[in-house]
Amino acid sequence: MSQTPTNGYGHGASSNGHGHAASPNGHGLSAPTNGYDRTAPGSPGTGEHTRLDRPLDPYAEAIVEARLGRPARDVLEATVALEAWGGKFALPAMSAARDLINLDSPPLQSRTKVEPTEEREQESVVAEGITLVLLILSVAAWATPIREQLGPGVLSHAIRVALPIAVALQWALRSRYLSRRAGLQCLARDSLVCAGLVIALIEVPLALIPNWGPVAAMMVPVWVGGTILTRRGWGLMYAAVLVVGTVALDSGQPAYLALGALTAITLLMCLMAVRTRSQPTDERAGTVRRALLAAILGGCVGVLLVADPTLGWGVHGIHPAVALLPSVIGSFWGGYYLWNFYDEIPRGLRDVPLGGASRAAFGDPAMSIFVGAILRLVGATVVLSALVIAAGGWTHGTDALSLFVAFGCVGLLSLLIGMLESFALQRAALIAAVMALAVEFAWPHLSHSHVPGAGLAVGAAVGVLLTLPSLMNRLVRSGRVLATMLWIQ
Amino acid sequence: MKTTNAQTQSLSPETRNGMARLRGATDCDQTPPAGAAQRQGVARSRKRAPGVLMITEGTYPYATGGVSSWCDVLISGLEETQWEILPITAGGRRMRQRFTLPANARLLRPIELWSENRPRRRMPRIHVRSDVSLPTRLLRGLMPWTGDHQDLADALVGCRERPQMIRPEFRSRDSWEAFLRALDEVLGEKHADSAPAPTFDAIEAARLYQTLYWVARTAAVPTPPCELLHVTAAGWAAIPALVHKALYGTPLLLTEHGVYVREAYLASVREAAMTPGQGHISPRLALGLTRATYAAADVIAPVTEANAAWERGLGADPAKIRVIPNGIHPPTERSDPPNARKVIAMGRVDPLKDVQTMMLVAEEVTRRMPDARFEYWGPATPGQETYALACTRMHEELGLGDRFRFMGRTDDPHGVIRSGDLVLMTSISEAMPMALLEAMAQSRPAVATSVGGVPAVLRGCGIIAPPGDVHALATGVVTLLGNPALAATLGRRGFDRLHRRYTLDRCLAGYRDLIRGLVTGAPV
Repeated sequence: MSQTPTNGYGHGASSNGHGHAASPNGHGLSAPTNGYDRTAPGSPGTGEHTRLDRPLDPYAEAIVEARLGRPARDVLEATVALEAWGGKFALPAMSAARDLINLDSPPLQSRTKVEPTEEREQESVVAEGITLVLLILSVAAWATPIREQLGPGVLSHAIRVALPIAVALQWALRSRYLSRRAGLQCLARDSLVCAGLVIALIEVPLALIPNWGPVAAMMVPVWVGGTILTRRGWGLMYAAVLVVGTVALDSGQPAYLALGALTAITLLMCLMAVRTRSQPTDERAGTVRRALLAAILGGCVGVLLVADPTLGWGVHGIHPAVALLPSVIGSFWGGYYLWNFYDEIPRGLRDVPLGGASRAAFGDPAMSIFVGAILRLVGATVVLSALVIAAGGWTHGTDALSLFVAFGCVGLLSLLIGMLESFALQRAALIAAVMALAVEFAWPHLSHSHVPGAGLAVGAAVGVLLTLPSLMNRLVRSGRVLATMLWIQ
Repeated sequence: MKTTNAQTQSLSPETRNGMARLRGATDCDQTPPAGAAQRQGVARSRKRAPGVLMITEGTYPYATGGVSSWCDVLISGLEETQWEILPITAGGRRMRQRFTLPANARLLRPIELWSENRPRRRMPRIHVRSDVSLPTRLLRGLMPWTGDHQDLADALVGCRERPQMIRPEFRSRDSWEAFLRALDEVLGEKHADSAPAPTFDAIEAARLYQTLYWVARTAAVPTPPCELLHVTAAGWAAIPALVHKALYGTPLLLTEHGVYVREAYLASVREAAMTPGQGHISPRLALGLTRATYAAADVIAPVTEANAAWERGLGADPAKIRVIPNGIHPPTERSDPPNARKVIAMGRVDPLKDVQTMMLVAEEVTRRMPDARFEYWGPATPGQETYALACTRMHEELGLGDRFRFMGRTDDPHGVIRSGDLVLMTSISEAMPMALLEAMAQSRPAVATSVGGVPAVLRGCGIIAPPGDVHALATGVVTLLGNPALAATLGRRGFDRLHRRYTLDRCLAGYRDLIRGLVTGAPV
């Protein structure tokens, strides 16, 4: 201890600015070198990396190693340690630090730690899957009572309009809010604006359309609300509400009343789900631009589902809805498996030297996860489709194989488009989606086949063919995926 | 601030096309650097120059702390100057303004790093594509021990002129592969001041690649015309200024509160979880940016001679360095200490403040002087919550109880200091701490560690001990608490010294002269 700056560690001698001249080239450190001749043979910088043969300051060396837990990597690191914990001033510290650098030391080996993705997020995906299945079954079960009460055209038209809108909104919500840690809080913050926009731009115009409009206007919030509720962890409550609504419809309750009650309850639950998660957060929601693009892509997938005239939504009973189930479950399982990207790609690249950071290998995590996701999607779709077909006689459902193939193709396309979107390759995704739609719309003019779902299958297949090679070309290099697609968006 | 007579000049077609995004004009009188003459003309327009563009990094006006307070005082104090504030913040979060800007200042839209926003687009222009990809150029300019400043500046200017190219360049396979080859070369470089670089794995390479992408994005953000660029740190905040200076030759003033490189090294040393590769990236990036900024700056204004020593050591031209110490408004009369054996500490709860050493000091002092009491005023630094928790646990383990209390934030630092008998500071890194000036203003002596500019400030009016030396610090505290006459003498000396050397008027006058000189081209 001492009054004023002299404490026995060289402070007094250093604060007067001696040795302040900058190095001539402006590159090296200009601390006094204490006779250390850098150009002398055997000195660092001449290729022979040996330490100067003169006594070291044992105090300085001990301080640095004690604080860093290893020798200093460079002069500045040693200087900082000596200054912060050794009580030396900058220039004496730099001078002392220069002698502490071992130019012959082996490079330190890096081993990046990879934190696993939050389990909660994965759990929410499982709940979302269960809810989705119940939603599809419910819609399938609504078909008969609504058709009987309101006429065959109403349900068909309502689904054709409500489904693309709902899918678009779901994709937008996921992009901007629900895929984020504080997504619900962000949604709560923007809830008034979001609700206002949906009411003004979607709900009111739909409700004003005679006959099927109000039904579509009620379906949209029921479907979209499910996404919010499952993200909140209330998926099973939502499923219970769906079941009750379905039972009410099947028991002969007026369709408008039952659907209206279902809509009201769903909206009320959504309000509670968001409001109970409205703790203030500084986190930002996703960008509007990206959410809009996601909405367009989701809308394209939705339109693709309903644009094939050979699929009679509502007219032919429960066929299309039940036939959709295998591919939706397959697509969902595949998509769920893709979550592993965020863990496995960094884990697979840990310890990979720079030379291997851009290698192409089919066994690397990106490609193996991708292939795993595709196999899950295809496998689940095939097995479940076979089961649904086998049970067709008992459920009075469809046994048209082409329908299952078509929905399987859509499931695959949806997965691929979703991947492209998550890699910020929206343009490629949009091209694939638009081309798939164009082919589907053109198909009736190109072919006179009446095979159910043929247009849908061909359109989706074209979309798959457009996206698959481009994705595989990228995914075969895990390092590139991480550096240029996941971390630079 | 003098506003020069901007010549209204009709814009050339190229100007309209290429420079349309640069609002207004710079009508500074300085001679632009070679190659900038044509661009200089481009930036002239109908609008009056706004004066000084201040670029901040993670501080004013969105965070509290010493640098932010200094910015606020400087802007409010130099009311004849028109300020435009360009903050650089970490993206993904909504920022709340902590300071109300005075009438002579205007807040620009912040540059958000790591945000999801895309780079702005500009009308594409025909340009000669460099043989070397942008990531590789930035890597070679920033990461070696001695980077190529000129090529770095050219690369950054390219980002400003062709922002739409940044993302495609960084997302291309060729750029990534060229970057990996260049990184291998850079890591293999040999220099007498550095041991061999750590080996990087692919993840760290990708992380560095991403960081360089944000360097490019930062460079791409347009800066408004101004007569002077004032950068408050030689790091990210310097990037837009480097581009602006290269384009228009506008003078650049750098104020360093802490030495950027030094703080980056300290952070990497402190962060135990950092891998060797991560621990290499951050300091090297800071070194590259700092050296480029020192080379481009017209004046470097550290707040203390201790920083100046670092700057000279890092190769800054000594002729550019002009120390301007911080200052505060001193009270006209001294206040008497309460003689309550109360020790005040002020600062964020942060590893740099070494709060744990302070608690050990408190433990030793109260063992020797049981009626002594310690109050620590200040919040935890955002992001250092774990450290704050560790401090709380240590407090419990030491059984300090009411003898040492964490008091949280205060809006009345002078009142807090007046309530104590002395001020204690155990930091391992400081530039010119305001807490010491506030102690001197209230005629309180200080016991502090001999870091940064502390010894120079406290000369003759406090007790200095080495950082981390619990016994020496505790002895200093006990000495002053047990000897009120000595404490009062040191307090009086501090009060007088503050009036002589560290008043706000003196600080503002220093900057007023500096800014006037830089804008008019007069010697500074």
